[in-house]
Amino acid sequence: MKVSVRWLRDYVDVPTEDPDELAEVFSSLGHEVEGYEVLDLQFSGVIVGRVEEVSPHPNADKLRLCRVTTGGDPQDIVCGAWNFEAGAIVPVSVPGAVLAGGLEVGVRALRGIESHGMICSAAELGLGDDHSGIMVLDPEVEVGTKFAELVPLPDVVFDLSITPNRPDAMSMLGIARDLGAYYRLPVRIPAGSLIEVEPESRVKVTLEDPHGCPRYVGREVKDVKVAASPLWMQLRLRSAGIRPINNIVDITNYVLLETGQPLHGFDLDHVAGEEIIVRRAEPGETLRTLDGVDRELSVWDLVITDASGVVAFAGVMGGETSEVSDGTTRVLIEAAHFDPPSVMFTAKRHDLRTEASSRFERGVDPNLPGRAAERAAALMVELAGGRAVAGVQDNYPEVIEPWPVELDLKEIPRLLGIELDREVVIDLLSLIGFESTGQNPLVVTVPTFRPDVRRPADLVEEVARIHGYDKIPETLPVGPGGGLTEAQLTERRLRGLMTGLGFSEAQNWSFVGTEDLENLGLSADDLRRRGIAVRNPLRDLEPLLRTTLLAGLLKSVRFNASHGADRLALFEIGKVFLAEPSPIDARIPNQPDRLAFVAVGEFGSPQVKGGHSIADVYTATATWRALVETLGIPDAVLRQGSPAGFHPGRAADVLVGGTIVGSVGELHPAVVRSFGLEGRVAAGELALEPLVASRSWWVFQEPSTYPPVVFDLAFDLDATVPSRALVELVTESAGEWLESVRVFDEFTGPSLGEGRKSIAVQVWFRAPDHTLTNEEVAPHRDRIVNRVEDSLDAHLRGGT
Amino acid sequence: MDQLKTLLATAPDRIQAAPNLEALREVENQLLGRKSLVAESRRSLASLPSEERPVVGAQLNEAHQRLTALIEGRRADLERIAEDGLLLGDRVDVTLPARELRLGWHHLVTQTLDEVADIFVSLGYGVVTGPEVDTAWHNFDALNTPPTHPSRLESDTMYVDYGNPDDELLLRTQTSTMQVRYMEQHDPPVYIVAPGRCYRADTLDATHSPVFHQIEGLAVDENISMADLKGTLAHFMREFLGSERKIRLLPHFFPFTEPSAEMHVSCFNCDGSGCRVCGKSGWIELLGCGVVDPHVLEAVGYDTSKYSGFAFGVGAERLAMVRHGINHIKHFYENDLRVLRQFT
Ligand SMILES: [Zn+2]
Repeated sequence: MKVSVRWLRDYVDVPTEDPDELAEVFSSLGHEVEGYEVLDLQFSGVIVGRVEEVSPHPNADKLRLCRVTTGGDPQDIVCGAWNFEAGAIVPVSVPGAVLAGGLEVGVRALRGIESHGMICSAAELGLGDDHSGIMVLDPEVEVGTKFAELVPLPDVVFDLSITPNRPDAMSMLGIARDLGAYYRLPVRIPAGSLIEVEPESRVKVTLEDPHGCPRYVGREVKDVKVAASPLWMQLRLRSAGIRPINNIVDITNYVLLETGQPLHGFDLDHVAGEEIIVRRAEPGETLRTLDGVDRELSVWDLVITDASGVVAFAGVMGGETSEVSDGTTRVLIEAAHFDPPSVMFTAKRHDLRTEASSRFERGVDPNLPGRAAERAAALMVELAGGRAVAGVQDNYPEVIEPWPVELDLKEIPRLLGIELDREVVIDLLSLIGFESTGQNPLVVTVPTFRPDVRRPADLVEEVARIHGYDKIPETLPVGPGGGLTEAQLTERRLRGLMTGLGFSEAQNWSFVGTEDLENLGLSADDLRRRGIAVRNPLRDLEPLLRTTLLAGLLKSVRFNASHGADRLALFEIGKVFLAEPSPIDARIPNQPDRLAFVAVGEFGSPQVKGGHSIADVYTATATWRALVETLGIPDAVLRQGSPAGFHPGRAADVLVGGTIVGSVGELHPAVVRSFGLEGRVAAGELALEPLVASRSWWVFQEPSTYPPVVFDLAFDLDATVPSRALVELVTESAGEWLESVRVFDEFTGPSLGEGRKSIAVQVWFRAPDHTLTNEEVAPHRDRIVNRVEDSLDAHLRGGT
Repeated sequence: MDQLKTLLATAPDRIQAAPNLEALREVENQLLGRKSLVAESRRSLASLPSEERPVVGAQLNEAHQRLTALIEGRRADLERIAEDGLLLGDRVDVTLPARELRLGWHHLVTQTLDEVADIFVSLGYGVVTGPEVDTAWHNFDALNTPPTHPSRLESDTMYVDYGNPDDELLLRTQTSTMQVRYMEQHDPPVYIVAPGRCYRADTLDATHSPVFHQIEGLAVDENISMADLKGTLAHFMREFLGSERKIRLLPHFFPFTEPSAEMHVSCFNCDGSGCRVCGKSGWIELLGCGVVDPHVLEAVGYDTSKYSGFAFGVGAERLAMVRHGINHIKHFYENDLRVLRQFT
């Protein structure tokens, strides 16, 4: 909300001229300062003139020729604006004047006609953003007056962000009330004395929906003369960002800004039957709103109707048929109280946010309409020559009274951490209009302009706010010591390990497209293919929740490749969303954490001299083994497999405790191509939980101080036998002194014959208590060889 | 014996003057060899009177030891020089990056979340995480956000098609859901932080992203007050942005806290005098916080006459952007290696 300090001084004697100090005060009261603007006169030499005559410009359709007097002989002025006619009182920049922005006005020919100055718009005078027409002044202003004398400047205009719990602060008086509380100054509420004339108004108001509209005040003013409103009012409206229209509309807007009560002015001659009915719309009804748009109404829209049909959206916007126009003489001022959800519904449904709806949505004081209507009527009498008609219609079937809230004074130290005496609490609350009685608990009467204050905690907040949050001390409580769980610590180690292996951590948004899941080669019955849809996805955002992290990582790799990066290795830890019930809450989908990684191109430690390795299936399996060994994952197995999306011959299922927890290997070339990449892509995606699950403590094993016996064995065996089977068999057959088995060579070739391969292992034996001899080890070696030859159809090719 | 004195006086220079190991051996031979003064004197010891023998013998031994030590010292030097000479032939350009140990980088979001979590772990808090798709109950109703609240509109919140429509599943808009989920399962006292991913129906601009991360703090205990909130946040800021930091709370509004506040921290760049980082105000608005609204505690069945609490929520990206001068939130999600490698 825009707040002019000069205007504010009508209501409270703001004791500072310093905008920075005032900004601090607003902030400390909870009204965030988005900024402020210091306004001053930006023009000179502008005189009030009267347009005596308007005629077409002989050489230009878009311009008009005006005879304008500023006190002396009329002069010709060419003007491009069309929002005035002869008789208008206007600001004129005569030759020698300087306008906002520094333009010096002279006598100048415009399409062949000499123009002796300009008629000015608000923007040209630095009084607003409005270029749409020239400023038309109140007809009462004397011609020849220096315009600068009429302009209430300098001023400072604050832009305050009012929180949704403070509808009362969306008004000048509400802000003045808070400032008054802060500075302990009285607030002046303007009260015009309204003299009413007989006969009584014939207007009849009916509330068919007292829930949607608990109160409706209708007040008639007749004999108004619609014209420009006084300059001070125009400028105040402009300071608040509202364009002046005419005196009647401006007065309703002015009173709205002053009091916070939205008003509507109807041309009473266009209200059929002089009858107002507030009700919900009926099917098929329509309304052309003031912005010229035809609206189809819903049965939930709360509307104002007359004898002929709908004339306005309640609390949102009026209709064209009953709009106040230049010919209006009888005005019906509407000041009502509407139910916030009804207004919110209509504003949202028709995408209409107005000054009125934004206030009604938050809740306006139900006891304000009478005063606001009276204030508007008084201004129409004073400024538009109107006469207030007796017989105000005030339909208010159930009066909403201020309500009591009990406050146990012990709540102040308990919730704020400060001790305040009862008298201090009573005083602080009285500063914002809350009256207190009783010892303890205090019984606090909350005025109806504060719908947000209903409970003791709400009062505690008000006490804190007016006392000042800065007066609350700082104390530091300490918790019972939760710490990180073992899984959280392990996850951190895992991330450290992945970066240590050369992978950088990525964060991708949690969305995928249907085609991403297709491109990943997931079959139709795969749970990961059935992504959960976002009901209202953002434009430019994929519509499904991710079921795999790989799509995001592959896109990130592609993004980097397109920037010329090589040696791409990324990992991500994050949730995927599966269309099955979550184990923690069956109402929500399962959202397990995953670890995924992708590497393309050179991997590991690049060398200027010498070779490098290209990421492939063994990069993926080595990554898995590094995880297993470093994190100490028990019962981990890597098994040849053909997981979806992976190369059928270069991928593995990985198991922990006999359960598949993910896949590692090279991605299928078709998948690689579909993500715009080429070559081999090493990848893996694993469930995080089994990797970081807590496990029993490992038990220390004393390293032997005796030397080992080491021997190599090379077997010729069927090419389909996995090396893992050989290692397992060797391990199983070796006996108690086995220390380790390591594969160190593998090859195929003509010397071995079709379908055969050679695998060589190095076996280490070591005893804990003595030096082993070759003779001692020999029987074990023989047993290994025999078991391998028998069980795996293998032949020992050589050994040591 | 004068001869011996002269010898001992001149020997150090002779030893040091030996230019190489061969010359040193020659000097050694002259000083300690079979024909040396020391050796000959020893051989003639027997001819001395018996009362002089121990004295002279001791002098000779001492002379032998000193000479030996000097020679060995020189030999060690000459050997090192000789080896260095050989090693020079093995010289390489050490500035050549011939081999690299290529490591990856941790993402700045996880670094930030971990750093904040650690600050609170050191204050005795636990760290909890939970689902990102949650019920409207956990994200709104239990947090005192009524059905008509604008933040529940589809223009603000993303809803998902899953499960029972009555549960109104959504992508959580705040980690405050974990306040509710944790308190549903645990009795007070509660001291937790909850880091995690959140979602809003915001289009991407410099400071808004449909996906972002928050870390939520919650303390519920007997007599937890706004003063405790202030002290805790001041400690957090001093740990995260430097020991000179001050904070201030300004009144604000959130449905789930009462009183509510916005926390501003004194600018770490200008120390409050005003600069580009803080928009000349000297203060940086960083997070929302407040005393937990009684409705929230009631929703999880806590006794509000006995327990009170405070809560705060802060964006991980916001924290990191402020501290590292990152100008656009998109940099957190493009995974551009040129950006990731700055996350040291
Ligand atoms: Zn600064």
